[in-house]
Amino acid sequence: MRLALLAGHDPRHIAASRQIALGACADVVLSAGTERSASFVERAEAIREARPDVVLLVADDRGADHAVELAEALRLATVAQQPRPAVLVSTDERTHARVELSLGHAVEAFGDVRSADVRAAVVARLRAMARGASDARLRDEGIEQAARTLAASSSRSIAILDVTGTSTSLVVARADGTLIAAHVPLGVGEHADRVVARAGLDRVRRWIPRAIDAPALLERVFNRAHWPDVPATNSLALEIELALARECVSRVLAEATRAELPLAHAARHADTIACTGRLATWKPSQTALVALDALAPESASVIARETQDAPLAAGGTALEPLTLVAPVSVRRSATVHVTDATGTVDERVGRGAFVLLRTTGAVQLAGDGATRASSDPLSMGVIVDARGRPLELPPRDAERLPTIQRWYGALDALPSGDDA
Amino acid sequence: MSWRYERCVAAHRLPIGVAQQAAVGQTVRAGDVVASGTSYGSAVRVGGARALGIGPGDLDRVMRVARDAEVQRGTIIARTGRRFARAVAAPIDGRIAHVRADGDFEVAPVVGTWTVRATLDGVVTRADASEVTIEGDAWALSGVAAYGPDAFGELTLGVDAPSDDLAPGRIDVRQRGRIIVGGSRSGAESIARAHACGITAVVSGAVPAGGLRSIYGEGVGAHGAPSREDAPTVLCLLGFGAARLPAQLWEPFVALNGRRAAIHVRSARLFVFAPADAVTVETEPALALAADWGSIAAV
Repeated sequence: MRLALLAGHDPRHIAASRQIALGACADVVLSAGTERSASFVERAEAIREARPDVVLLVADDRGADHAVELAEALRLATVAQQPRPAVLVSTDERTHARVELSLGHAVEAFGDVRSADVRAAVVARLRAMARGASDARLRDEGIEQAARTLAASSSRSIAILDVTGTSTSLVVARADGTLIAAHVPLGVGEHADRVVARAGLDRVRRWIPRAIDAPALLERVFNRAHWPDVPATNSLALEIELALARECVSRVLAEATRAELPLAHAARHADTIACTGRLATWKPSQTALVALDALAPESASVIARETQDAPLAAGGTALEPLTLVAPVSVRRSATVHVTDATGTVDERVGRGAFVLLRTTGAVQLAGDGATRASSDPLSMGVIVDARGRPLELPPRDAERLPTIQRWYGALDALPSGDDA
Repeated sequence: MSWRYERCVAAHRLPIGVAQQAAVGQTVRAGDVVASGTSYGSAVRVGGARALGIGPGDLDRVMRVARDAEVQRGTIIARTGRRFARAVAAPIDGRIAHVRADGDFEVAPVVGTWTVRATLDGVVTRADASEVTIEGDAWALSGVAAYGPDAFGELTLGVDAPSDDLAPGRIDVRQRGRIIVGGSRSGAESIARAHACGITAVVSGAVPAGGLRSIYGEGVGAHGAPSREDAPTVLCLLGFGAARLPAQLWEPFVALNGRRAAIHVRSARLFVFAPADAVTVETEPALALAADWGSIAAV
């Protein structure tokens, strides 16, 4: 869904409209109205060029004249567009009437988008438009429902990380029913080229554990966008897919921060991080590494993934626990105590350490600088992560490549030809 | 993906400021102008209905020029009354870009002109302020992405074999106005040279994605970038990197060499105007993405 945001100058309105776009997984093709210097004609040309399916026009009573200006530009731009874009308006009643007069047709009115309930109503309307005549639940709705169900049933907070070929979602739900969600139309398949366009090629390249020049990487990403369903049967292709997935999640976090959604903090402190979609199709160590690198959890979390026979988006609730992550904040060194069915292991970790401790049965974690945590049996074990936060990569290839390779090696996650 | 002789539809989006356009039902040839108009500078708002003391609904009755007319400074746009006349005059040379719902006018200076040309031989089936659509029969080949403005010209082979790269040395000004067919790869240097020599477009099995960035900018994507600017037109048939054209695609290019052709960038299609029996197409090529995603190959 191509969405144009016409949101005026109020920062709270701008943030609220961005939250709506994130809630509906809309492709924001235009954000207009915020720039004070744009002329009437420039705005109309920008709207004509963007050709939105839906326009969200937001203003308060002080911004009424500005809203009418935007509505006039919208009418000039879409006068003959077929089908005409749907217009959703969040203004007071008087401005709403003026906007309708300017557009020459009725528009759907909502209350003040600074209210969470109104934002939810707009998102619901946008989702209904995205569904069209179909009754099928959208993937983002399924992910949100799964997060609610899992949080309520486990009485723990859960972050669901969903990466597909065309979208990336990060949804955090708590046992008390609160839910924070962001869905962005970026993915590792058809929309892979958008990741490069938005994040930058170097940000994708930095995660690849081998030297690859920028043009060669770009060609592969562009080809991927046209062949989204081809499995990554080659180690380089898989490394690119893993790198794209990390940047997809990074973009969701960045967009959420820009929209003033407290998503990053909530996700980094979730008790469980559940990986779904393409993330859940790789080797467990690769899934865990991508989730860990992309989210950089700041407290102990269990990283789990959906089971292939019961995807969360389709109503499944079963999770396979992969690893318990213990982010350790140390200046020089610290000791982490990991207790499992075979006894207690004391692991001394230094700054920058990244190690996997294989475990058997239920696990308990304690130690200096690490959060106390426990978990059911894990397929991988405990990852002690003392790489520091925020996670930073050396800028030069000569230092970055050995670092990335060490992280991959620590989890035995380096792709080989038979991974896919 | 395959060559097909079929009834094609090409939609041409129009910018703001349409002045003239082809009529529905009109027969056009590829390259004909189907719409033209003006580009605007910053518009000036001029008080209309309120200044005249009438309602916005009565504005058309008192307007002395058309709603989108070009006006000169001082031109009376609307006038009421006889003995105690009220009038609205254009404050600048320009064009009425928009009549607002409250009856005010947006008068904008004209800073340029634009034209939109047909990419098909056929009949205009829709023509309004936002789009002109043409339907016609042609040999059509869809690519994965196209970049730049629509292009027209004689189809000309730029390589001897489908596995050859389009070499810059094969391009010169004698090919001005033609659409050049490269082989497996056309690099940024060849594309830039072709544009400088007046070649209207390059069609190629693959194009280096890095080269596209150097020509069209960092924001270019894998799904094409239509534009109206003076930039090279590139039709990428199979993918990015390198892609040898399979015989099922290459042989029709040989048969259609010298025919009139056009590229509709928005839909990434090449249209060649030749009789239905000019080419025989029996099978579709089977294509596969290389394991490392670096090229496309026929299987």
